[in-house]
This record gives sequence, C-alpha cells and structure tokens, in this order.
Amino acid sequence: MTAKNIDLSVDFAGVKFKNPFLLSSSPVSNSAEMVAQSFEAGWGGVVFKTLASGRWPIVHPSPRMNPYHYGSTKMMGLQNVEQISDRPLKDNLLDLLYLKKNYPDHPIVASVMGFSTEDWQYVAKAAEDNGADMLELNFSCPHMTIEGSGHKVGQAFPLLEGFTEAVKKVVKIPVMAKMTPNITDITEPAMFAKKGGADAISAVNTFRGISEIGRDDWIPKPNIFGVGAESGYSGPAVKPVALHFIADMAKCKGLGLPLSGIGGIETWVDVLEYLLVGATTIQVTTGIIHYGYRIVEDMAEGLRDYMASKGINEVTDLIGKALPNLKETDHFDLERQGRAEYNYDICIGCGQCYIVCNDAAGQALEWEAEKRRPKLIEDKCLSCMVCSFVCPVPGLITFKEMPKQWQRNETAVMDPSLEKELKYERFEEVDLKT
Amino acid sequence: MSYAEHFQEMEKGIGLAHAIAEADRCLLCYDAPCSKACPAETDPGAFIRKLRLRNITGAIRTIKDNNILGGACGVLCPTSKLCEKECSATGISRPIEIGQIQRFLVEYGWQIGFKVFERAKERKEKVAVVGSGPAGLSCAGELAKQGYQVTVFAERSEPGGVIRYGVPAYRFDKKFFKNELQDLYDLGVEFQCNTKIEGKAGVEKLLNDGYKAVFLSPGLWGTQPLIPGPQNIQGVFTSADFLVALREERYEELGKQIKGKRVAVIGGGSVAMDCVESASKLGAKDVYLVYRRSFAQMPAEEDERLEVLRLGVHFLVLNQPVDYLTESSGKVNALKLIRTQLAEPDASSRRKPVEIKGSEWELDVDFVVEAVGQKPDEAVDWSPAVKLDKKGLIVADPESGQVSSKLIFAGGDIVRGPALVVEAVQDGKVAARAIAKALSKT
Repeated sequence: MTAKNIDLSVDFAGVKFKNPFLLSSSPVSNSAEMVAQSFEAGWGGVVFKTLASGRWPIVHPSPRMNPYHYGSTKMMGLQNVEQISDRPLKDNLLDLLYLKKNYPDHPIVASVMGFSTEDWQYVAKAAEDNGADMLELNFSCPHMTIEGSGHKVGQAFPLLEGFTEAVKKVVKIPVMAKMTPNITDITEPAMFAKKGGADAISAVNTFRGISEIGRDDWIPKPNIFGVGAESGYSGPAVKPVALHFIADMAKCKGLGLPLSGIGGIETWVDVLEYLLVGATTIQVTTGIIHYGYRIVEDMAEGLRDYMASKGINEVTDLIGKALPNLKETDHFDLERQGRAEYNYDICIGCGQCYIVCNDAAGQALEWEAEKRRPKLIEDKCLSCMVCSFVCPVPGLITFKEMPKQWQRNETAVMDPSLEKELKYERFEEVDLKT
Repeated sequence: MSYAEHFQEMEKGIGLAHAIAEADRCLLCYDAPCSKACPAETDPGAFIRKLRLRNITGAIRTIKDNNILGGACGVLCPTSKLCEKECSATGISRPIEIGQIQRFLVEYGWQIGFKVFERAKERKEKVAVVGSGPAGLSCAGELAKQGYQVTVFAERSEPGGVIRYGVPAYRFDKKFFKNELQDLYDLGVEFQCNTKIEGKAGVEKLLNDGYKAVFLSPGLWGTQPLIPGPQNIQGVFTSADFLVALREERYEELGKQIKGKRVAVIGGGSVAMDCVESASKLGAKDVYLVYRRSFAQMPAEEDERLEVLRLGVHFLVLNQPVDYLTESSGKVNALKLIRTQLAEPDASSRRKPVEIKGSEWELDVDFVVEAVGQKPDEAVDWSPAVKLDKKGLIVADPESGQVSSKLIFAGGDIVRGPALVVEAVQDGKVAARAIAKALSKT
C-alpha cells in the first residue's frame, strides 16, 4: 500500500474533517488571517479562539506567557495567563464568515464562553448564525480573571450541565464541552456534560501550574509587574497526563461520546497515541507556538507513512485500538519475569548504566575499569530497565524474558547478625487468591 | 593603516546556550576518562556535570580551584590531544567541546562577578617565584591560597611570560589575561616586573632577603643558532624576538620591514605557524614556510597547518636552510636552501631528511624568522646552586620539583623543555604543595 491511498478524514460528531488535525482555541486561532494561513499549511479545521458576548471587557495581562526549558531543550512546557479573545465579538464573527466563505471544506468550531445562562446562549447563537459548524464550550480556562468562569465552571459539575443544556436549547449545530484537567476523575464532569446534551468532549485544557519563580525577586513567572499567578501549563511535559484523561473517558462505559484530544501534541507519534486511546480529532497550540503551523505537514506525512507500513487505510481504524491492552495493574502476569540483556559489542563505555544501577536499582552491574565496560550480574537484575533509559546507544540494553525456573536473587541484608536485636513478628498470612 | 587591528583580540568563545547544549550532549561518564587525561588534574567530568545541573558557580569553582589559569588553558590547550581525545561521546558522534566549555565558564564567572578565591589567613613565610609564565603563576596562586606571601619576579614589563609575550594576541589576548591575573592580585600575590633574577647570585640574594623558598620558572628564551657563524644579520629574527616585538606592539617597526615584502619562516612547529600567520597579518607580499622535512611530519597541529595554508602561505617543505645572503649594508636579501629527501627513520622515529647533493638554490627574501626551537638563556647561570642537564635544562625531582636542599624548586619549560601550558601549570602546583609542606615543618 502506498501512502497516497491513505484516508485521514474523520467524521466527528457529524462534522466531516479532511484530517483530524485542529488548531485549538488559543493565540494560534486568534483571527481569520492566522487561521487561513494554517489551512494553507494543511490543518483540517480550527477551534476558533473563545468568543464572549462583549459585555465584560477582556484585557490581557502583560507579559502573558513563560516557558519551561529543560537543559538546552526549549519549551518542554509553557505557562500562560492568556485570556479569551479580546477582540470585539463583531470582528470575530466577521472573521468566521470570511473563513466559511473562503475555506468551505474546513470546518469551524467556535469556542464560546459566557458568564450567565443568557450570555452563553447569546454567544452560541451568534457563532452558529455566522458560520460555525460546531461549538466548543469553554468550561476549562484555569486562569480567568473574571470570577465564576473558566475552570470554576468545569469544577462545578451541575453548573457545567446547566450551561450545556442552555446552549443546546438555542443551537442546532453539534456542541462539544471542553474539560479542565484540574479535577480528580474526568469522567464525572464528562458525564454531566453528556447529561446536558453535549455531542462531544474535548480534553484537556491547561493544567494549573507554576513554571518558574524569579530567583532575584521571588516572583513567579510570567511576572506581571510584580505579581505571578498559578495559571495554565501546557506542552510536551503534560502529554502523558493528558493522554490518560482521554483514555479514561474512552473507557467510560456510560459516556460514549466522540473525543477531541489536547495536550502536548507536536508529532505524528503524539497524534497516533491520542488516536489509539480513543480520540477522533486532536488539537494543538503549544506545538505551534514552538514551531509554527508547518508541523502539520510532518504530522500528516508521518501518520500516512506509518499507516501505509501497517496496512491501515482509514485513520478511523486506529481509534481506540490500544484500549483493550490498557488495564488495571492487577491484570499483570507476575509469573513471567525477565531481566536486562546487554550487547557489550556496541558499548562505548560511558558507565551511566553502572551509576544508575548502583544508586537507583539492584546493584546488578560490576564495572571493569580497564576495559571501561559494565558487567551484568544477571540474577541481581530487577528488570527496572533504568540502565537502558540512560544508555546513549540504541539497542544496547534490551529486556529479555527469562524461563519460569529462573530466580532473581533477593536484595542482601547488610548485617544478618542484627537479627538477635530485631523486634518483629510476622504479620498473619493472607491468602491473596481467596 | 593600523596593524594593531589584527593583533588586538582573539576570537570570541562560545556562549551560555552553546555551553548548555554541549553539557546536554555530555554522557556524564562514570570515572570520566576526560578527567583522567589532563596533565593538570582538571576535572571536566565534574564541571560539565555541574553546568548540566545548573550549578554554574560550582562548575567555575571546580575549574579555578584546581587551576588558577583555567581560562588560559581553556583557550590554549590542545584539547583534541588530551581530554577531548578520551571523550566517550566520540563513540556516538563527536567529542564534547571541553576546552570551549572551560573557557566559557571562566569568562562567565567574570561576567557575573563570581569570585572563587578568598584570601587565606596570612602566613609569615615569604616565597619568591622567578618567572611569571604559567608555571610561576600557578605556583604563586597555590601558595597565596594558603596564605604565603608570594612575590613573582617578571623580566618584562608585564607578567605572563610565554602566554603574554610568546603567543600572538589573536590566540590569547591581554584583556582575557588581565581578568585571569586579577585572581592572583586578589589573593595578594605581588609582582615585581622589569626584574631579572640573574642566576645563582640572584637566587642566593633572594634567600638572603628572607624568602624561605624559591621557585624557578624562567621559561626558555634562548635560541638555537640555525646557521653557524656570525649572527646579527639585519632582517633575521628569532621567533622569540619576533613574537615579543609583536606583543610589545612594535607594529610600526615590524610593519616597515614586512608589509609588501617577502618573508621566510623556518620551522614546522606551532611557533612557526604563529610566525607565518603574524607575518601575513602584517601584510607581507609572500610568506614562505621553510621546513626540512615533509608536511605530514610537522609538529604543529593539523588544523594550525591547514589554517596557514588557507591564508596563502607558501609551504617549502623538504628544504634545508644553508646560509643567508646579504646586501652590502648587511641586510638579508636571500636564503640559500638545499633540497632534501626522506631516508630511514632517525632517533625521533621520523624519517630523516637527507640533503640532495648539488640542489642548492636561493630564495629571495627581505625578512626571516627562525622558529627552530628554544633553549635556556645561556647568559643565566643557575649552577652550581642547581644541577643542569646536557641541554642546559634544570634537573628537578619530578615528585616535588625540588632542585636543591636549600628549598629551591623549579618547573615549566626550564625543566621539561618546550611543553604545554597545562604541564607548566601542574609543575607549579606540584612545587607549591612541596614548598608548603616543607615550610609547614620549619
């Protein structure tokens, strides 16, 4: 199969997208001019930056973002105090009309937020009337400066249900509810949204976080003229956590709504993982803030080539495919054990494995100083595999399953002679199988 | 035009982002091989780890505590033959730029005003250091850190010896060196410049003046005559005199003799490369590098050789200088050469150049620099206070640098012959430890 025959299009809550890659509601989808550029670059659709009624003025703090760098890696994470759109509602609606007219095959999801039931309904209707194909209800902004909005709604589940219901009453287009991750169990608010009539769920908005504190002034960043605030943290650093929220909702039996995955997506591999745990579309902001709209080219090309290599034609065939393999930890087969396996021939002798095995694992490595090579004491290996995580040579350290009769040596007691001083009685045996 | 422009500053080092990227690439080896490869006990394994873990001041401390000339070594050390040669990252891609990181950290310390050293409680004993090159400064710094009262005697008007006067400024400039020297001033080291300690008598005077120990590190400033016979031909310089003249910024005097003229530099080592590059920068029309062996046999580093080739220097390899031809005024106007070919290996295990009979020829030149190796200054007689070997080098105990029961020590080129800056630094440290040990007993 060649990558040319691959179909990346998806049907998402009744709306057809040519590919599952969407801009999320943020600075990257602030105007028609920007969104048009993104469509030219290959994005399949947009969640337009959150519209409000205009009854409350929106003013952006300055500065409004702060990066979290890791060594020389830029922007592992990004913190922002970005507000919803500060443009007049009318300008935004004009931009929706422009996009609808010029890019009819690129669906527009309008993100909306209200501060009262009437407010929600007013904005929702305005968006529908001016070309929106779908709505996203912003229940999740973690740093709104206006009380009773953003993730405060997302954390007050009956309120979330009520606003969803109110919007559903006034529009015909599908409605998606955007979840905050700043809760314990995401399936709870998702179920409330469903009860309110939501047609889809998007998740997650940014995490409340503190990315950095000024070392000279002790003011958390972004430093808004002497004041910092806990606010929305995003980027690759949050991806593993965001992915679990999608998986939880996909596995939630009563929910059954299509999901739009958000959080730390930059590459086709990230997209693939979101699809595999149940997302139908994905949304990106931080990746674009880091690299620009052009990343979509690599997402599409990479995903197509991957699908071709796997003989998969339709991207929808990937959705949820990892879920059957995702279980609670009590499903593990603990009878089967293994250990690390070393290919010493390709070792370059840095010895990082030796350090971590000694300080953080089973002390299962010896060090041959002259040759500068590790030597594995096989029956001491805990199979934690941390040595392979620090090893700079791909494929040098691999996991190897051992035969049933193989036994790991238990960690030695430093001084068995202390047993005579030991105050200890064995706890009553419990048969775990009964 | 200003010749000086070419001789003011060296190239900029790397910045913070580059240094962090290199630290990220470092494999942070167990029992780091780079740290075992430095003659001066530098510990890149530790200072790169500290940089990686955002402990930048600690990284600077690791470098400077061990080597008060850590910046100079970062700039001048042939790292590709030492620490970087042993780097494990070579197995993945290429070695970590250890020398550059070291230089960066030292410069960063200056930028943020971070001081590694604090003055120790003063001790009463005075120590004299003769010669202000890397060995002398290293010895002085170590002793001053322990509170000894150290005076460094420098022959020229500024301290630094070979790294101040024997290396062109575009390789190691004054501004950088001034920052590095500041640590020695801050530690209370005193400098007596324009002061030559004249051999045995001079050393004995120091001991009589109350100095409890003397460290000799005068370096090698004498030269091997290339061609036997009367010297002082006008227009013929030794490399030492040529480079000193440059570092004394006598650009007008040199420029007059070199700009638009034909210059020959004789030799194949790093110093010869510095001389041809300097002659080019002074505007010579043609610069010839005359060397009796082959290109591949030159002791200079490959990148130094390639760099001067790119400058347009003409390499006359397999040519042995035989004589100078002069005008009636006594000024050189040609170099008589004889062509050579390589025969069997000699004592240096390099193939020996043998003259080809009847192949003499004359190269018209206006200016010649002899860069054929340096030796001790014969005018200075250290004996019998210290023992000299056949080459005139001081014989010192390799474990301590001691040369006499009278607490006279020596190190650097005067003991080793031409050696690396790091090796001189190590000699200074070793002698300082031995001096401190001896003085703490008295």
